[in-house]
Amino acid sequence: MAFEYELPDVGEGVAEGEIVAWHVTVGDHVDEDEVLADVETDKAIVDLPSPVAGTITELHAEEGEVVDVGSVVVTIEPDEEDETAGDDRSAEAADNETAAEQETAADESEDAEETAVPSGRVFAPPNVRRLARELGVDITAVDGSGPSGRITEDDVRAAAESEEESEPERKSAVSKRSDSEEGTERKSAVSKRSDSKERKSAVSKRSDSETKSAVSKRSQETESDTQTAEPAARERTAAVPATRKLAREKGVDIDEVPTEKSRDGDPFVEPEDIETYLQAQEAGETAVEADADTATDATTGETARQPVSREPYRGIRRTIGEQMQRSASTIPHATHHDTAVVPELVETRAELKERAAERGVDLTYLPFLLKAVVAGLKAHPVMNTELAEDDEEIIYKEYYNIGIAVATDAGLMVPVVEDVDNKGLVELAREIADLVDRARSREIDREEMQGGTFTVTNFGAIGGEYATPIINKPETGILGIGELTERPVVEDGEVVARHTLPVSLSIDHRVIDGAEAAQFTNTVIEYLENPSILLLE
Amino acid sequence: MVVGDVTTGTDVLVIGGGPGGYVATIRAGQLDLDVTLVEMDAYGGTCLNHGCIPSKALISATDIAHDAGDAEEMGIYADPAVDMQGMIGWKDKLVTRLTKGVESLCNGAGATLIEGRAEFAGENTARIVQDGEGQGSESIEFEHAIIATGSAPIEIPNFEFDGERILSSRDALALDHVPESMLVVGGGYIGMELATVYQKLGCDITILEQLPDALPAYEEDVTEVVRERAESLGITFEFGQTAKNWEETEDGLVVRTENDDGDFEEFEGEMCLVAVGRRAVTETLNLDAAGIERNGGAIKTDDRARTNHDHIFAVGDVAGEPMLAHKAFKEGEVAAEVIAGEPAALDYQAIPAAVFTDPEIGSVGMTPEEAEEAGFDPVVGQMPLRASGRALTLNEREGFVRVVADSETGFVLGGQIVGPEASELVAELALAIELGATLEDVGATIHVHPTLGEAVHEAVKGARGQSIHY
Repeated sequence: MAFEYELPDVGEGVAEGEIVAWHVTVGDHVDEDEVLADVETDKAIVDLPSPVAGTITELHAEEGEVVDVGSVVVTIEPDEEDETAGDDRSAEAADNETAAEQETAADESEDAEETAVPSGRVFAPPNVRRLARELGVDITAVDGSGPSGRITEDDVRAAAESEEESEPERKSAVSKRSDSEEGTERKSAVSKRSDSKERKSAVSKRSDSETKSAVSKRSQETESDTQTAEPAARERTAAVPATRKLAREKGVDIDEVPTEKSRDGDPFVEPEDIETYLQAQEAGETAVEADADTATDATTGETARQPVSREPYRGIRRTIGEQMQRSASTIPHATHHDTAVVPELVETRAELKERAAERGVDLTYLPFLLKAVVAGLKAHPVMNTELAEDDEEIIYKEYYNIGIAVATDAGLMVPVVEDVDNKGLVELAREIADLVDRARSREIDREEMQGGTFTVTNFGAIGGEYATPIINKPETGILGIGELTERPVVEDGEVVARHTLPVSLSIDHRVIDGAEAAQFTNTVIEYLENPSILLLE
Repeated sequence: MVVGDVTTGTDVLVIGGGPGGYVATIRAGQLDLDVTLVEMDAYGGTCLNHGCIPSKALISATDIAHDAGDAEEMGIYADPAVDMQGMIGWKDKLVTRLTKGVESLCNGAGATLIEGRAEFAGENTARIVQDGEGQGSESIEFEHAIIATGSAPIEIPNFEFDGERILSSRDALALDHVPESMLVVGGGYIGMELATVYQKLGCDITILEQLPDALPAYEEDVTEVVRERAESLGITFEFGQTAKNWEETEDGLVVRTENDDGDFEEFEGEMCLVAVGRRAVTETLNLDAAGIERNGGAIKTDDRARTNHDHIFAVGDVAGEPMLAHKAFKEGEVAAEVIAGEPAALDYQAIPAAVFTDPEIGSVGMTPEEAEEAGFDPVVGQMPLRASGRALTLNEREGFVRVVADSETGFVLGGQIVGPEASELVAELALAIELGATLEDVGATIHVHPTLGEAVHEAVKGARGQSIHY
């Protein structure tokens, strides 16, 4: 019997996951525990290991599809069940191989064999297959309504719509859509994913991570020293050369063009997107989320459609959103601003940077900052706490795990550097670089983003001085770092240029008072301004 | 970098101007990409210069001479004289015409054409090496590359091509005289096509084949028709013979073989054509510099013709079997379209294939056995050409059209045709397969009378138990 593998609860109480990339295709043999797919759940991508050894006979979800926990994602024909048949097949394959080998020496066997994959036979004309690719529909899962079940354009469009529809439907408890009638109607038009026939994907999937790593290094940006805050625009955009040229001609930064398409995991911009974006700008409108349907004036019949682009609110984006909402709606935030004058830090870091480089480490300011923060946390333990609301307790933590907010293509991630107090600057620099890299390439494990006691966010890497960071629950404080640059400072009654570092500390005012926040900030600034006292730590 | 190197940039670098490369170049140009084509030998590649086109030219020309001299049944008495150099000259002229055409199409598409050999210097850089010392070289920075370096004939041990005694298929298409006799090592499609040409020109052909039949890739009833015709033309088949080595004699050579029983045998001839298959050409590319993975000899590609690097593509023979020009055409188009961001993919249902023997073979999709293995319950319709009026007017009685379909739905799954113009006839079935047409669709289509195409029609109707003329 085929084994129907249901999506397990891969995180803590996760209800659904997005299949980011399949590592296997139909026909592949997998060992037990071999990774089948990358599933994006919370703030992480987790591996989905195979529970059995066997042969993949069907993938039930497309890449990019959101799957409920408990629904079947893959069908595996386990080895034991399939022993005789499997052996026959492999023996046959082996025979064929030997035959083929002999033939290559003797004739042009290549001429004869069609490469058509018999199992991938799809009864649909080429234009319909192309449409399916365009709309992201797995054509092997579409039931045809044409003669003898041939798949038509309408079938593919119906399948595409049903996939879009199915998402709000699933959330019916939350969404208050009044189109239930329409919904059911569409549902009936939805093609069934028939399991009775063995259908196999004609298209071999490439796993996303594979693709990512294959992307030329050249396109990877040189990251600025401690870039850890959320970007204003994308860092990377996929587009064909002609589109880039169009963007250049129109004077548009391609990273700012909204798109909902993606290619190989990167946002993908096409010429229409640039046109749409330009039109939106001309109309004095930024293309933001708006309900295009409501913009249609039904009474006059005039279409006041404003150009918008839509992207699904799910996966990491939604996780971030929900986390932010939880934090902002339960925690009374108060933010304290101050500035450290840090010429000595700049000097010290410049000196040590060379030494660190000899050890193969790029020493950024972030390790100094983490050390200073830990010194502050030690001096003001109330900053390193958690409010256990249910137990009515404030938990003081005597370990120092600092989260670092990292902007990635997928959104904000917060990998955690553990036991910062026990680590040296070089070790910290190395660890931070590794965590940030892996967060950006989405190879970071869930566990590596949990267990933080305090968070640092370095929006200054992008620019700016002060901000209001939102606390990473259940922590009670977060320190935002502005841009380190020369600013006017008054010294001995004279205005001079000095390197300064603006800091913004948000606190959970239920636990921490403003005075404590100011004291903590003073300590951190003291350490930043006099890096030599870090030696005492 | 060598002193004197120049660096230029391009959106798309196409390496090789054969069927895969020139199609990719033209398509990329149509899609407004900045494209550069590097060719080290001749535009049109093996297909136009040393393969499909020249061999078909010789086959057609030979058939005119041969058929005229073999038409006494039709009341024609003739003994045409063949001027081999004249025939080769005519062939060369039309090859030149076609390669010039390809070059001007590439120019017309706005491509930059560079002569030289391209090798990778990195994931986004290639060096163009010109012939001769001290030429320096040009470096090209590319956003995307399409590898289309094609294939070359396989050499077997002790049988190095010398163009005098040991011929490759390329040599055999440019002989200045018809040899008295020729040994042909390999009874695949290339060996069979050229053997037929030279036998018809009066050369005494012996085919030495390792396996127990010619054209082993095809079903027995298909090859039987071709083999029997070849034998009636005077071709001698020696099966189970593995060519071991050779020695020059006064007026030719003697080839020593080992037969299936382990005994050694000797065969004499004026020349020996070795046609045992083709291999992907990757050695000129310095693939390691770009970290491009191979799968056996050929470059590994996915369903978008991409290599393990998303921005580097491989198309045609260098991307592996089947080594067919029309497969290369398709891959070249898809590679260019994928680069331009179009939702193109190699999603074809079948690649038709043809062998230009006498008579021809055309095949597409599944055989009845393959359909069964794939889980279908196949229904088969077969029309012998001796029941076709048009075939008889062509003085042809042998061969057949077979159509394979799914009995449940009627979808056409494949076809095998052996007979005159089989290479043309197969196109109809290829279209039916690609469109997902049923037996009823093809059966309901009116076919011109009297044509060979009617035989396809009859086979299709036969699969539904409704054939009229047979």
